Amino acid sequence: MPITFSHVSFAYPNGSLAVDGISLAVNAGERLAIVGQNGAGKTTTVKLMNGLLKPTSGTVMVDGVATADRSTASIAETVGYVFQNPDDQIFASTVRAEMEYMPRYRKWDDAKRDQRVARAARLTGIEGYFDGNPNDLPLVIRKFVAIAAILVGECKYIVLDEPTAGLDRPGQRRLIGMIDQLEAEGISVVTITHDMRFVAQAFTRVIAMANCRIVADGTCSSLFSSDELLRQASIRRPELAQLAKDLGLSDTAYGLNDVAALIPEMPRASQR
Amino acid sequence: MALVSIHGVSFTYAYSEQPALRDVSLQLEEGLLYGVIGTNASGKTTLCSLIRGLIPLFHPGTLTGKVEIRGRNLLDWDPAHLARAIGCVFENPFTQISGIKDTVFEEIAFGLENIGVPREEMITRVLGVVERLGLQSLIKKNPNELSGGQRQKVAFAAIVAMEADFIVIDEPTSQLDPEASDAVFGIIGDLRKQGKSIVLVEHKIDLMAQHADRIIVMKDGKVIGEGPTGDILTSEIMDVADVPRPEVTDLALALKGTAKALPTLPITRAQAFDAISPRLSG
Amino acid sequence: MQQDATKERAEFDREFVDAFRRPVSQGNWVRDINPLIAFLVLGCLAIIPIWIEGLIAPLAMCAAFVAISLLAGVGRHFIPGYLKLFLAVGLILFVLRAAFEPGDLVLFRLGPLSPTWEGVQSGARFALVVMVLCGALTLYAALIPAKYLMLALEQQGLTPRATYVLLTSFQAITDLAKNVRVVMDAQKSRGIETEGSILTRSKAFFPIIAPAFLAAMNQTEERAVALDARAFSSKAPHTRLVSLRGPRPWEFGLLLVAVAGVVVSIMGAYLSWP
Repeated sequence: MPITFSHVSFAYPNGSLAVDGISLAVNAGERLAIVGQNGAGKTTTVKLMNGLLKPTSGTVMVDGVATADRSTASIAETVGYVFQNPDDQIFASTVRAEMEYMPRYRKWDDAKRDQRVARAARLTGIEGYFDGNPNDLPLVIRKFVAIAAILVGECKYIVLDEPTAGLDRPGQRRLIGMIDQLEAEGISVVTITHDMRFVAQAFTRVIAMANCRIVADGTCSSLFSSDELLRQASIRRPELAQLAKDLGLSDTAYGLNDVAALIPEMPRASQR
Repeated sequence: MALVSIHGVSFTYAYSEQPALRDVSLQLEEGLLYGVIGTNASGKTTLCSLIRGLIPLFHPGTLTGKVEIRGRNLLDWDPAHLARAIGCVFENPFTQISGIKDTVFEEIAFGLENIGVPREEMITRVLGVVERLGLQSLIKKNPNELSGGQRQKVAFAAIVAMEADFIVIDEPTSQLDPEASDAVFGIIGDLRKQGKSIVLVEHKIDLMAQHADRIIVMKDGKVIGEGPTGDILTSEIMDVADVPRPEVTDLALALKGTAKALPTLPITRAQAFDAISPRLSG
Repeated sequence: MQQDATKERAEFDREFVDAFRRPVSQGNWVRDINPLIAFLVLGCLAIIPIWIEGLIAPLAMCAAFVAISLLAGVGRHFIPGYLKLFLAVGLILFVLRAAFEPGDLVLFRLGPLSPTWEGVQSGARFALVVMVLCGALTLYAALIPAKYLMLALEQQGLTPRATYVLLTSFQAITDLAKNVRVVMDAQKSRGIETEGSILTRSKAFFPIIAPAFLAAMNQTEERAVALDARAFSSKAPHTRLVSLRGPRPWEFGLLLVAVAGVVVSIMGAYLSWP
């Protein structure tokens, strides 16, 4: 069942509005990027998805039930949320203990626990780190440990909050590979990110937020084609898309092959 | 005299089995911006910590080889003098705020208090830095209540106020959104124009291409390449190090050898534009 | 309009910066008393009632604290907190003492308890004396911000390192509270139930206490490096942006009176012993 937002608003107790009348749906097996300036409402939106925050007006439905009627912990069985800072989430003294914490709490049988833990470790590439202390591991490995700990659960929706911050190319490859695999298993992945190059590479659907509202919900092409939208959401086109636009070649192309196809040939004279 | 001179240096952290730096030799000159690139475990941060003198002072381990800063052996420098000679800004904006000052103004003045600058000069220097970095709206705010991007700007301001000629900057924008990243790179660009020497570690290769004079490429604790930015970013070393090239460079490499080939390999969008736009008018 | 707003802001900022050129002032003559003198005076006031028998002395001192808070303009912060302290701590101490202190005149019986008149009196006095001590501490905290106390101590020779440790300890408490909230959110997001009975909440909370502290330790380590970047370990004499005015003559006079009060009350107590 999809996650749906119907005219959802959220205001903090001090009155400041974080999200203003947004409506959206996240379907099964979908991959979605949420972009926008800091303060636009991205993190609030995803926290409304897993029930950490309950709407002050409007309804968020997960599994056909309004989030306001369930505890966060029960919604977390369907929607897994990986914090931006892994140190806000990791607390065990070994990677294995961190990953086994939730299965032990839920009293899963050993076989199921081991199988899920092994799968999560494989997806995130951290099999070699089981006995390590997370505090001794580099930040990037800790990020994957935090993701793995959530993947152990049987969530149908995974939310990643800024997974690419500080990630190098091998790490990004591993992340995209993981998202591909999750999609193949029918699990939806919602990612908050600032990295438009990453969005262009890995996502077909992108939601742009500005000033607590959704200003765009569609393909990368449609987002990159509008100067007005980009300005509103305070985001930039990836370099090639901007180059294509500056040269007047295309408003919508952004991938390497697409842009390369548009570049005109050298004038005959210089080809000799 | 070279700014930094590193000969055959290897370093292993105290609780680690693998060396973080292997037989590194480098010579850094004054007045240039050196970009350091490489995958996450390649030794970039260790190199920064070494240059800045945090190794071996704050990070115990086994250090071999010779390191000279401004002609003097690293181990002979007084840590406080080193702090005045080399400024540094790190990745995590949340731990660079002292935590004991109630206003951004006082936070920026903190470093000047420590080096004994007289009050009137302190005020002048802080005001100057605030103006240069556009922090006027923040000076009365509590640093502990600022966002990550704002804190990073304040941390920069605090270091710039100390007027070191040499600054080491380790991934200053990894936690920031594009607008804050641009602001930080604007500051870095200004510092470069003032002739300061800078060592900058960054993953954002497109921004690095615009600002760095020379690039140092690291892999597995070794320096596998060092040279002018244009040369390094267009060479095969980038593939060996598994570091992405600027997108426009990838485009030019894809067009190489075809009828669409560009006359030179661009590393910035502006260069790519200049190379291609003549074809459109014809 | 825009220009007016900018001009107004510029004025505001200039005033803010100029304030650093003068000795710091909180805008109230009581709160501007030198932090060390204020500490000693309140300390003397706090111990005077110990040497004077009966309930009038401690009660009068509590009232004096309330009066001082009003004079200093911090009544709104101090008085409600002080009242709460009375009800929470004072009342409990009174009841405990009154219920269990042996004596001759039993007032009534309630099950195993038989409070006596002597018990009530000693309970009231004990509670009030403790309230005077607590009052002195909370009043001091309301009058003098920690950083000004640190400044005064540094002027007397305390090292910057010591003042840093003290000041960050206060900040660490605020940070810890924030950290706890974030960690509880992480627990919830993992499916660990945090709402419900005390038992459920404890099961979610206790495993993360030690790691939360460890995380704070790690942060401290990183902060130490950042401090080094600000030349914190510099052996040159540190200057200070903020300056504290030295104590004025009448403040010494006040201290003299307070000390005299202590001496008189001790002598009075000594002389009145058989």
